[in-house]
Amino acid sequence: MKGYITIFSKMVKFVILVLIVDLLFGIISNHVFFLQKTGKYARANHVIYDTEAEVLIFGSSHAHRHYVPEILEKELKTTAYNAGAEGQQLIYHLALQEMVLKRSTPNLFILNIDEDFLYSSDIAYDRLNDLHPYYNEFKNELRPLFKLNSKFIDIEMFFRSYLVNSTIIHIIRYYLSPQLDYKGYRPLHGTMTTDQTTSNLIKLDDEAKEIDKNFVFALKEFIDNAKSNDVNLVFVISPTLKKINPNNKSLAIINKIATKENVSIFNFAEDTNFDNKLDWFHDPSHLNDQGARHFTKLVSERINQKILTNLEKK
Amino acid sequence: MYFNSFDFLLFLPIIFVVYWFFQKRKIHFQNILLLVASYIFYGWWDYRFIALIALSTLVDYLVGIKISHCDDHKFKKRWLLVSVFFNLGVLSFFKYCNFFIDSWVDLFNSIGYDIKNVTTLSIILPVGISFYTFQTMSYTIDVYRGKLQPTRDFISFAAFVSFFPQLVAGPIERATHLLPQFLEKRKYTIESISYGVKLIIWGFFLKLVVADRAAIYVNSVYNNVEYHDGLSLIFATILFAFQIYGDFAGYSLIAIGTAKLFGFNLMTNFRRPYFSASIHEFWNRWHISLSTWFRDYLYIPLGGNRVGRYRWFFNLFITFLISGLWHGAKWTFVIWGAINGIYLIIEILCNGKKRKGTLNIISTFCFISFAWIFFRANSVLDAFYIISKIFTKPGKLYIGSGDDIAASIYAVLAIFLLVVIEFRREYLKNTVVINFIIKREIGRMFMYATLIYLILYLGVFGNSQFIYFQF
Repeated sequence: MKGYITIFSKMVKFVILVLIVDLLFGIISNHVFFLQKTGKYARANHVIYDTEAEVLIFGSSHAHRHYVPEILEKELKTTAYNAGAEGQQLIYHLALQEMVLKRSTPNLFILNIDEDFLYSSDIAYDRLNDLHPYYNEFKNELRPLFKLNSKFIDIEMFFRSYLVNSTIIHIIRYYLSPQLDYKGYRPLHGTMTTDQTTSNLIKLDDEAKEIDKNFVFALKEFIDNAKSNDVNLVFVISPTLKKINPNNKSLAIINKIATKENVSIFNFAEDTNFDNKLDWFHDPSHLNDQGARHFTKLVSERINQKILTNLEKK
Repeated sequence: MYFNSFDFLLFLPIIFVVYWFFQKRKIHFQNILLLVASYIFYGWWDYRFIALIALSTLVDYLVGIKISHCDDHKFKKRWLLVSVFFNLGVLSFFKYCNFFIDSWVDLFNSIGYDIKNVTTLSIILPVGISFYTFQTMSYTIDVYRGKLQPTRDFISFAAFVSFFPQLVAGPIERATHLLPQFLEKRKYTIESISYGVKLIIWGFFLKLVVADRAAIYVNSVYNNVEYHDGLSLIFATILFAFQIYGDFAGYSLIAIGTAKLFGFNLMTNFRRPYFSASIHEFWNRWHISLSTWFRDYLYIPLGGNRVGRYRWFFNLFITFLISGLWHGAKWTFVIWGAINGIYLIIEILCNGKKRKGTLNIISTFCFISFAWIFFRANSVLDAFYIISKIFTKPGKLYIGSGDDIAASIYAVLAIFLLVVIEFRREYLKNTVVINFIIKREIGRMFMYATLIYLILYLGVFGNSQFIYFQF
């Protein structure tokens, strides 16, 4: 019996020590995390806690690299911030939108649609990790989304060190070498060559891909959140040199939902303005700064035509 | 159930407490508990796997008894063949059936026959099948050889076959070592439990921080070889050498540590293999349980080195070739095995078995890493493409983009820590898995708590599997 008690007491001592270490280092790591001035986490912090922009842009790298807030502000005579995040997909944007709406109510959300937004992707779930640091503060918004990837989310999120998992290199990196952005927009420079075009004109093959019901739900939720908070919403499909499969199931469902919910879709994927404009592209699916400026202007014009006219009518 | 899952972190303490609760009663209760726990652990992947392991257990249990009943050597051998054919038959069917079908089709197509629309079977590969079939085969072979008395305690035998800490990825235990532990009372000591916990923590560090961090860079390069230059391919190959070590040695340590919590001693599976100064030494330190299995049950029965020189080389080569095939039903693994066999033969020819010194350690690491190219490449063509690029187009080092950069930096830092710790153990003869040079118990506890913090802070917590589960 004595042996059991000794082992039990040592185990309890060790567990307490683990919790203390986690708490102490966790507080420090958390503090350092929120001190960031540049980089993807700093931009997310700004969107969640600070921005008062009237126009917010959501989406993956296509959003992040294609929308110049300065031009939107000038054309729409309002304030704008690019909340696009590279590599992120719909559930991340939904989470970010919900966190923003908890604090403020912008006038317009622009969601840049990727043609594969609704296709199954484990990475989409894994990359939700970027939002772990906000869990304690936004439990109601984040818990249902994190639960999609882990049934033990409450245990995982109990550890402070886990909340800020893998963030330290980013923090150091952008402290030593700040990553400049222009209201969330980071331009790409350089143009494509003809060689790149010939090797990169890929017809996206999506025959075997499956639709993830959670992503469909996330899209509907994104629309509902905008509607219930009286925020205007437009979907935009960015220009690309890749040929999108006409039978793309994901895009078909997005179109169907948008039509049903009366959300405008501005489709620039087949816009002739961008045909063979190699000097506007950084790579087949990303515009460079010059292209992004042209594109943002075109988007602004469409928004002015559609949404703002509607607002005036009201 | 994966070790790196929250299911396991809940499962383990429950089984641990209930297990020691039965300590005062007969060990039979503990063995029943271990058997049930092991079947739950295994069935967590797919409940259908349980039927297969139960059948394998029953066959080898009965064969063991039958062999002991036979006085005639000829009949003993027949019963042994029943076990060998059954186990290898099951393994071949589940693991190699489609591989052989595809290979025959490819062969016929290559010599001019146009074979299309060949039906392959839709077979799920039961996790860890290669490990437990080898373990049970060792039982019947040892009974046949008279090294072991067959047990009549079916529960203990079934618990031995399915013992969950080492069921799906080893170490592949010998019946002579592990089975007797199921038949005697296990001791509950603080030293054993404390050591077990330390091994588990270090195992998780190797898996989640070293292996899984390295995997991010390795996968991004090896899955897109056409976009990467020689330098990136070299760097990815070096990282892979540590990834597979962290992954497999990490699993082994968690397995050994978990077994220790239940009072069992499993064999050491890795002894700092990258400090080997020769290929021969490497294979004495890498996946020891498998290497010694092949030595005892294949290489020596073939004649080992007590035959003519050419036959000896043939024995070595064939042993490594089969070892390669054991790792997976792909030609990349077969070639990997063949390369290691050739290395050993060349080493013998050059009298290099007893090499020593830093330069030899580095050169051995380079040779081993070269062979890992075949192990990791997605296809044989990819492997040759990688090698040709390494030698013809060094180019630029891809350091990753976005999160990839951070992943490779974490991996390099974790590998550095691993090398420092292993260096201390190798040359300063530290016996403890990690010696924190702190005398006070609370100080040592603090250091292990910090290691747990590092795992939580730097580890990869996705849905990663252990590489060796596929074998």
